[in-house]
Amino acid sequence: MRRTWGLYLFPIPALALYLAFFVLPAAQGLQYATTDWDGFSPGFNRVGADNLVRIATDDDQFANALGNNLTFLLAVVSGQTVLALGLAVLLAARSRGSTALRALFFLPTVLSSISVAFVWRFVYDPNLGLLHSLGVPGTFLGDEDTAILWVAVAQVWFHAGQMMVIFIAGINQIPAELHEAAHVDGAGRWQRFRFVTWPMLAPATALVVAYTTIQSFKAFDLILGLAGNPPRSSLDILSTRIYTTFANSQLGYAAAESVVFMVAIGVVTWLQGRAARIGAGR
Amino acid sequence: MSNHVFSRRGLLKAAGLTGGAVALAACAGPGGEAAPRGSGAAGFDGPVEGELSFAHWRAEDKEVFDQVIASFTRKHPKVTVRQDISASADYQSTALTKIRGGGVGDAFTAFRGAQFANIASAGVWSDLTGQSLVDAYEPALITAGAGGGKQLGLPYQLVFNMPVTNPDLLATHGYANLPQDWDGFLGVLDGLRSKGVTPIAWPGGDSGNGGQLINSMVMNNAPADDAFARVEAGTLKVTDDWFLTTLRQYEQLKPYFQDGATGSANEAAMQLFATGKAAFLATGSYAAGPVRKLGARFPLGLYAPITVAAGQARYEGIFNATFILGVNANSSKRGAALAWLQHLSDPAVAGVYANGTSQHVTVKGVEYTNADLKAFAPWLTRKTLLAPRFQFNNLDIRTAVEEAAVKVVGGTKPEEAAEAAQRVVDQKR
Amino acid sequence: MRRPLLALYALLITVPLLVVLFGSFKTTPDLFASPFGPPLSPTLANYREILGDAGLLRVFGNSVLVVLVSVPATLLLASLVGYAVARLPRWPSRVLFAVFAAGLAVPAQAMMIPQYVQFDRLGLRDSLAGLMLINVVVTLPVAVFILSGFMRTLPRELFEAAALDGAGSWAAYRRVAVPLSLPSLAATAIFLLVMHWNDLLYPLLFIDDPARRTLPLALLDFSGEYLTDYPLLFTGVVVASVPMVLLYAFLQRWFVAGITAGAVKG
Repeated sequence: MRRTWGLYLFPIPALALYLAFFVLPAAQGLQYATTDWDGFSPGFNRVGADNLVRIATDDDQFANALGNNLTFLLAVVSGQTVLALGLAVLLAARSRGSTALRALFFLPTVLSSISVAFVWRFVYDPNLGLLHSLGVPGTFLGDEDTAILWVAVAQVWFHAGQMMVIFIAGINQIPAELHEAAHVDGAGRWQRFRFVTWPMLAPATALVVAYTTIQSFKAFDLILGLAGNPPRSSLDILSTRIYTTFANSQLGYAAAESVVFMVAIGVVTWLQGRAARIGAGR
Repeated sequence: MSNHVFSRRGLLKAAGLTGGAVALAACAGPGGEAAPRGSGAAGFDGPVEGELSFAHWRAEDKEVFDQVIASFTRKHPKVTVRQDISASADYQSTALTKIRGGGVGDAFTAFRGAQFANIASAGVWSDLTGQSLVDAYEPALITAGAGGGKQLGLPYQLVFNMPVTNPDLLATHGYANLPQDWDGFLGVLDGLRSKGVTPIAWPGGDSGNGGQLINSMVMNNAPADDAFARVEAGTLKVTDDWFLTTLRQYEQLKPYFQDGATGSANEAAMQLFATGKAAFLATGSYAAGPVRKLGARFPLGLYAPITVAAGQARYEGIFNATFILGVNANSSKRGAALAWLQHLSDPAVAGVYANGTSQHVTVKGVEYTNADLKAFAPWLTRKTLLAPRFQFNNLDIRTAVEEAAVKVVGGTKPEEAAEAAQRVVDQKR
Repeated sequence: MRRPLLALYALLITVPLLVVLFGSFKTTPDLFASPFGPPLSPTLANYREILGDAGLLRVFGNSVLVVLVSVPATLLLASLVGYAVARLPRWPSRVLFAVFAAGLAVPAQAMMIPQYVQFDRLGLRDSLAGLMLINVVVTLPVAVFILSGFMRTLPRELFEAAALDGAGSWAAYRRVAVPLSLPSLAATAIFLLVMHWNDLLYPLLFIDDPARRTLPLALLDFSGEYLTDYPLLFTGVVVASVPMVLLYAFLQRWFVAGITAGAVKG
């Protein structure tokens, strides 16, 4: 297998940069997880697993952020994936109208999060807001129990167009002959989606779900923009929690929180993989 | 393989470079932070020349500072001043890193409380004790810039973190004089509401601004002036009577806030107030500038709710001294930085800043010509308490305590809210 | 069904966008008096201020320069990795993919300080080159993730056929993998464009000199401690969005290129 040797050279430039400027600083940053370093003093103490134990057993704020994050994640991943897929299927065909609509739906992604947050603060404001003037009752972001879901709506508005792009790319990579063959066999629109598009889109779907998951863990400027900094507990998610800990000059503890954050992403992604395999009957 | 893109030599070179980066970075960490650019050898006697970086977070003051810089460079033509502005939220988290590295902030500012203390323990303040410019300030107002017996920084802005009023609107409804007791205050609120006025606009959905009300609410309830510092130290609890009383009073205020106050952003609350629909804006005197920009034409006043019975109040209001000016100990241009601070401490210059930004300053002998500053000026000599909210050095504890009040307004029982907050205090102390 | 659904979503997207667009023609009191309404007395003052500011034009140029270098560089590096992931034997391929995918889970806060120190020591801080480098590095995980995902779906037989024709790995990458991946490359390019164009954290951390600022950093100037100049900010956002929309329209043409390429292989 001589040809595979050449293949090993391809990732080297990327790997070199990645190891030097990403992996190494990340490893350095995370090693503080076992210390009480504040981020600026010359010295620190090694505290072993103390930080992790505290996070797991004695930190209401972290537990609350984790819970919020999971709610947010479920809402965004399901809402955004279904919406993006639907839009992609409706718009994959090439026509002037769909080209324009694709651009429109993508547009929110381009905006800075500070302006998106501003707009949505006004959508939700209980006195001057758009929903209020349409007669929808409620305090929205001020409602302890549902606040995070209202942020999820804004997040989906913000990013669904981005995921639509992935689905459209996926649909366009499906060989046209498959659709033609199905068409010749007399398959209807729904059947063609169910038996051609959907299975062929499995990789794109996996991508979108995984990426949206990570995005919902990291949705951080939008939350700070909507809730203020630091956000109150009903809107706190893991990334804002880590940011606050960091701003609170507890770098060691923030590093430990980051470790838990990474584990949480790993577990959720793994569960999604399992769910997908079970769903596919494997 | 012959047409492969990577030559062997190129690869070796790349590997060498990355290896170097790895080796360099491996020294990073506590005690091995970025080397300060300036030697610090040129002390305050250094020449007033070069490009000076002034790091701060007040983007809204940029133009006024440009004027002040112009008058400074007329005096010292060899120096230029660059404003390095970060948004205030980012300033908390990245400024210390950058200022310590010396890349920005030959002269810089810090928030009162935790940030001041952190910069002090990182040794970034130059000691200003004994410098002539210190005498330009009201001694009582610059204690927030002192530490370990030294004057490390000079708090520049003087802010009243208590509700702003619309005296015209209040007078129209017969409340030209505001009561100095809790029941009287509730009576006023009730009267206003019955006349279709929103008594209090309160941005409960914005932690930074919504949190200010707690200053006034605890100033007469707390058993000690440093009650919040004691909460953080563990000698007082938020489940104690004084704080439960405060939370119950928040509960009493609930019907007098605008609808859905816990979900209101700062802009929305300001808009209600600026358009004359609300009588009080429960944030602080710093709202004067923004409220004017929103088109408010009426005069402004200040009033802190008195939470006790008549004659029992210890304080009438709240002040805060912040925007602490300092010279970077790691800067090579400390002479120029000190000259810049001296310029800012000139009463005439401080007056330009104050009147241009609608903020009082801590410098002595400043003439306030701005109408709002004139209206607030009587408060400079009234019995006010240094804002207790900034006694918290731990952001998590502060958020938890303030949030107890928001939750009560949202419908949670005061006891429950206090217990949840106390749990966080115990965990994060 | 198709039309009403699309029209409804178009409405949901448009109303909030109009707040931004209309807002750029309003004064602050007008904006707050009626955030969702059209500008009743439209003003061009905001545009005059933004477009008349020479400093902002320079900032605009910096952003364009950074994106023009960092997006293609990321695409090149990541597609090389994606190609290797698609063609390497099972385990090396999985390990390679996992190494990069793991990067997605790392929160930026955990790396910030070490990266700051590292770039400072290498003299790469406060330079556009350093900003380009960090952009490439921090978005490699996303780009590898997306591109590997798509490249893995390319039929292996194609590469084997190319090998039989005597083409080396490089030729197979250039003549088979890249043309067939154009839709996903275009999609990834759009992702990266948005991420690099709007990134705030690294410019904030790395750039000191106003002459080297990028757009998101400059837009922060309108956002004060207690007062944000939203009309001006929105104007900045509108102006900053124009190149993104144009580039999107340009890249979108490549979305469908795969169909043509697929036809060639058949």
